[in-house]
Amino acid sequence: MKKKYWLLLSTVFAIMLVLAACTEKETGSEKPTDKEPEKTEEGAKDEGGTTAEQPTLASEVTNEGDALAGGTLKYALVTSSPFKGVFNWELYQDKYDSEIMKFTTNVLFDTGEDFLVTDKGIAKLDVDVDNNKATVTIQHDVKWSDGTPLTADDLIYPYEIIGHPDYTGIRYDDDFQNIVGVVEYNAGKADTISGIKKIDDKSIEITFKKVSPAIYSIGDGLWGYAAPKHQLKDIPVADLITSDAVRKSPVTLGAFKFDKLVDGESVQFVANEHHWRGKPKLDKVVVQVVPPASIGEGLRTGQYDMASSYPTNQYDGVKDLTNLTVLARPELAYSYVGFKLGKYDTNQKINITDEKAKMNDVKLREAIAYAMDIEQVTEKFYQGLRSRATGLIPPVFASFYDSTLEGYNYDPEKAKAILDEAGYKDVDGDGIREDKEGKKFSINLASMEGSDTDEAIIEYYRQNWKEVGLDVQLSTGRLIEFQSFYEKVEMDDKEIDMFMAAWGTGTNPSPAGLYGKGATFNFSRFVTDELTALLNDIDSKEAMDPAYRGKAFRAWEDYMFAQATTVPMYFRLEIIPVNKRVKHLNIDWMNETKWHEVELVAENPVK
Amino acid sequence: MWKTVIRRILIMIPQLFILSLLIFILAKQMPGDPFTGLITPETDPNRIEELRIKAGFYDPWYVQYYNWITNAAQGDFGQSYTHEKPVASIIGDRAEKTFALALFSVILVYLIAIPLGVIAGRYHDTFVDKTIVLYSFISFAIPAFVLYLIFVFVFGYRLMWFPTSGTVDVSLDPGTWEYYWNKFYHLLLPGISYAILGTTGIIQYLRTEIIDAKTMDYVKTARSKGIPMKKVYSRHIFRNSLLPIAAFLGFTITGLLGGSIFIESVFAYPGMGKLFIDSILSRDYSVITALVMLYGFLALLGSLLSDIILSIVDPRIRID
Repeated sequence: MKKKYWLLLSTVFAIMLVLAACTEKETGSEKPTDKEPEKTEEGAKDEGGTTAEQPTLASEVTNEGDALAGGTLKYALVTSSPFKGVFNWELYQDKYDSEIMKFTTNVLFDTGEDFLVTDKGIAKLDVDVDNNKATVTIQHDVKWSDGTPLTADDLIYPYEIIGHPDYTGIRYDDDFQNIVGVVEYNAGKADTISGIKKIDDKSIEITFKKVSPAIYSIGDGLWGYAAPKHQLKDIPVADLITSDAVRKSPVTLGAFKFDKLVDGESVQFVANEHHWRGKPKLDKVVVQVVPPASIGEGLRTGQYDMASSYPTNQYDGVKDLTNLTVLARPELAYSYVGFKLGKYDTNQKINITDEKAKMNDVKLREAIAYAMDIEQVTEKFYQGLRSRATGLIPPVFASFYDSTLEGYNYDPEKAKAILDEAGYKDVDGDGIREDKEGKKFSINLASMEGSDTDEAIIEYYRQNWKEVGLDVQLSTGRLIEFQSFYEKVEMDDKEIDMFMAAWGTGTNPSPAGLYGKGATFNFSRFVTDELTALLNDIDSKEAMDPAYRGKAFRAWEDYMFAQATTVPMYFRLEIIPVNKRVKHLNIDWMNETKWHEVELVAENPVK
Repeated sequence: MWKTVIRRILIMIPQLFILSLLIFILAKQMPGDPFTGLITPETDPNRIEELRIKAGFYDPWYVQYYNWITNAAQGDFGQSYTHEKPVASIIGDRAEKTFALALFSVILVYLIAIPLGVIAGRYHDTFVDKTIVLYSFISFAIPAFVLYLIFVFVFGYRLMWFPTSGTVDVSLDPGTWEYYWNKFYHLLLPGISYAILGTTGIIQYLRTEIIDAKTMDYVKTARSKGIPMKKVYSRHIFRNSLLPIAAFLGFTITGLLGGSIFIESVFAYPGMGKLFIDSILSRDYSVITALVMLYGFLALLGSLLSDIILSIVDPRIRID
């Protein structure tokens, strides 16, 4: 009897071990997306991504079958935390709220190539460059989801919300203060914003202090959304964020409108019969929060038709499923290695480059860049969902991305030669180079913690550097938690010589806010007069001409390449799995399928 | 006894005060702040600085603490930075959901554990006992999230017996019978998963107590008086064996609001555990401090409750 029990026991334990091993992976992979939610400053390495060079994944799919009349689309919002539920473009801060609002969007302008404004949207933008003025005109007979017509007042109201003294959001910024009269309005000295005039019921005129090419990317203070004044005008701005008009039943312009809501969990949308592009073909859309750990299973079993940004480190879980198509598109982001070359002077509010900084040797930085086998990492660790970045402009900006750039191709021999030439020689014969004076030389690298592969990737790069004779240690001895990481990097912590991070570029690729002289986000603290001139050129009035701007970008990228203060690492790819009952979907940034056009070919998702 | 109870409640005030001071300072010591996460090339660092100043992050800590504690004493725990609504309303909302789930789970735990513990103790060293002990070992050893994931995959996604995410179906109207049934339906899978793993302590305590009690003099006396075995178990042994469990009941009751980060993550159930972790990660000070204060208060209350319960069920124990 006793023996039998032992057999039973050991079998049970064996099974448990196997189960534990299987699920380990699942929960491990939950981590990266765990911290993704609020963080728009992207984790350096927590997700995959790639460029247009990745041919295997399409951005468009068409499925056979006759379209149903109506139907409900089941949309999974992949996040491990409940959504915040601020459904207002002026007030929201969490990216998942904006994911939800894309079904109801109040967006005024359509954008095309390079995310520049076209005249196909609700409103048309006319810029008078010489007089620093812009006119926004409603072109169509547009109604809000409650049937009220959209008027010029609804275009002005968002500015009055953001500019209001009681507004506590992030959008009352330097850019916004570029509108004439906003500062006075915010200080309570004026009842209206003097720079914004209502011309007639359909159009408004905005006067700016200056106009740059960014205005066509809806920058310079121009606001891209309408706000339903008739619904919001009686609610004090300070109370807007907790009001039902923002949290429960916002009036909107998009294809769908809010119907029912379970706070933090799910939203049910119904078709907006007043939608200006035409009544949507679907009856309903249900958005449900799904944790990253189980989204793969949810898609496989057909509980959801599609997922917002599927976690790329779980790509294996969906790539071979037959009931769905995995679509992909480039993320508006790049990952990079930055070097600390100075300090931010908080009194003068400028970056000051330190000539004597440890990393202030362009040869050393180049060698570090050439020693990194980035391609190997994208292939082995990211399954090709990331690719080696060759510059600081993601390829999705067709006019500004330069495909002829090479970047720093992996070349350890070249790295060694550069280091020899620069005077970093191995004096004591231990395989590690000493500095120019022959003293022990070690570089501190700061990197963020994320998924379980991060540690392996960092080790791989450290190995790369060791092969060319450079000793790279982790600052603090381990990977650093997101908040601590950015605090240390922002404060120019002495423990950091170089760091791995990432930037989301947004739709306006202007680098001034990240590399400018006064930019606190210029974490390298590298500034020269030449760089300032190059950056100014990108945002100059001449650069209103895309060809000129493209050249200005190239000149800046060439300069950054030569200085090697920021080494581009990866471009990333975002993947969106779509069930085969969705008739047609295109997620390409330039030709995205509009939500009112989406149709289904079956009653239930394909299993 | 009531004197003691009142004294213990009064002692809570300085205890909570010290806790509030500690947690406030520790929370502020964490690197970063609620606005660090907002950094993008499109957000203006100057605006973020402005918001930090408006939020009072640059005031001396004792000024910040004074402002916070005076408001907190009046029941105003301020606004959450990430949720942008009053802390009380977020915690209230989550507490309600967590309480429902925890209460259901705890009832299940007792329903499963007490009979199993009694049976194991009564028939100890038999096959039944060994099976129960094996079950309690396995449930003790298995990591919670492993079982939860297996359950959600098997019963949620594969067999589709239960919903896999959230607390209620969005299409239903609040107030209808269907709505409440659906809420209960959403509780079933997380509740059962939790209960299956939560029984170990109770089974083991009960079993050991019963085995010990069998050789006690009072049992022998009862038997020698001719009381049937069945009655000895149900009247004499059972009540005595429940004592250690009663000792924890106070903590169990106040612990209902604790929440479980694993359950909530796997089943996408928005509860207190997840709120706590998320607030820490996003440095949402106002929520963190309010939650720690709440947990601190509940822990103190739990220990008091346990003592009171114990004195009621065990006449030998008196608190005064």
